[in-house]
Amino acid sequence: MLDTMSAGPAQGAAQLGWTGVVRFLHLAPRAFLPMRAAETLTLVAGKGIEGDRYMIGKEEGFYSHKPEEGRQVTLFELETLVALKRDAGIELGPEEHRRNVTVEGVPLNHLVGRRFWLGETLLEATRLSVPCRHIEEITGKAIFDPLINRSGLNCKILRGGIVRVGDIVRNAA
Amino acid sequence: MSARPITTVKTVVTGIEEAGAGVKLFTLADPDRWELPPFKPGAHIDLHLPNGLVRTYSLCNEPAENTRYAIAVKREADGRGGSRALHDEIGIGDVIGVSLPRGGIEPQAHIARYVFLAGGIGVTPFLSMARHLERTQQAEFTLHLIVREEVPLAAQLGSLVEQGRIIVHRTSRTGRPDLAALVGEGGSETVVACCGPESMIESFERVTAAWPAASVHIERFTAPSPVIDPDAKPFTLSLARSGAEIHVRAGQTILAALQEGGIDVAASCCGGICGACKVGWIEGQPVHRDRILSPYERERYLMVCVAGSDAERLVLDL
Ligand code: FES
Repeated sequence: MLDTMSAGPAQGAAQLGWTGVVRFLHLAPRAFLPMRAAETLTLVAGKGIEGDRYMIGKEEGFYSHKPEEGRQVTLFELETLVALKRDAGIELGPEEHRRNVTVEGVPLNHLVGRRFWLGETLLEATRLSVPCRHIEEITGKAIFDPLINRSGLNCKILRGGIVRVGDIVRNAA
Repeated sequence: MSARPITTVKTVVTGIEEAGAGVKLFTLADPDRWELPPFKPGAHIDLHLPNGLVRTYSLCNEPAENTRYAIAVKREADGRGGSRALHDEIGIGDVIGVSLPRGGIEPQAHIARYVFLAGGIGVTPFLSMARHLERTQQAEFTLHLIVREEVPLAAQLGSLVEQGRIIVHRTSRTGRPDLAALVGEGGSETVVACCGPESMIESFERVTAAWPAASVHIERFTAPSPVIDPDAKPFTLSLARSGAEIHVRAGQTILAALQEGGIDVAASCCGGICGACKVGWIEGQPVHRDRILSPYERERYLMVCVAGSDAERLVLDL
């Protein structure tokens, strides 16, 4: 009973009720290195982000000993950064959460198993990201607990292309 | 791709310079010259040398230079082997894994004066601090460098010596200086710091015994052991299937001990919430610190990334 959504009006609301925007893009070529802000990222279908540590075939990331097809690109909600500041008094910058794309207005936790457009690229959300202790070591901030259940989304790239800051994010029907 | 987690920052050696008095200056950078993890003035890093040794060195460049780590290494013929390996075996282009930078002094706005006392190669932790203060002009500083005769890193120190910010004391000519006179008067706006041989640190501790603790800083050559929970105790893991015995140091995680022992266990969050590192236990008194196992599951499983042991021995189903 709990493995499917009802086909009623709630389904349509979840699909139609949002349009988001790409606010920040970041990447790093290797584990532990500071993330660098970018105006554009090049997504390669089935592989990852050019120059990023989790590009399949060239992995040099913290989790690269555990290759994962569904971690080609990772997203994070700007709203979480705002909430961290508001509720926990922690200032976390978009370069510090270590996901590639910071979006605004996109209900990431609702998208697992769904497809959506990130600018001209088409993504499929595979699973929620889990926070990692090692981010506390890198940032020196106690953010592990506050990030539980809102640590972003892991996605596969179905159709590649260039993603730009300001691009629209929307559901793929 | 490696089968083991990446636990160090990958760097390549981009420069090796002779710096006098048996000292070589090594420059490490990211293979693509990407920015490196940031550090505070006076911070240190562990080098994971190709021969398996792990050694700690102070960063001696300025934190504002964010694409390189510079370390000065004195060749100690009778040392434990780290400096010899670096001097004799490491060349330009070699890959060295390093830890994230630790320690250092965050210069504080209310501190008006720093006095650094360095014995010989003990000058290295103060170099990045001195350069930082020189550039930011945030506070006054004097670095007293006590050497027998030859000054290590003479070329790097040159301009600061000329400006009188570094004062060199040669014991072969003038004998040992009086540390009390060098540190002068204490006060809440002054910080004094010392790095050098143990005998020098002892006299420094005597001289500053009455100073407020926040004003006194000591760097030892041997890295201070990481801060661990004072109640943490070491214990032994017995692996029921393989028969192996693995020692877990006080404060170490079971996960880290298993990985060190060459046992591959899955892990992801390293914080007891994702469930990746679940392992069965058979005998002992595990201390569960995860946030996912139910009381019932805890009877048989533990999460190796956070669990500890109340007994000296813990038998795992591995
Ligand atoms: S690694 Fe996530 S629970 Fe241990």
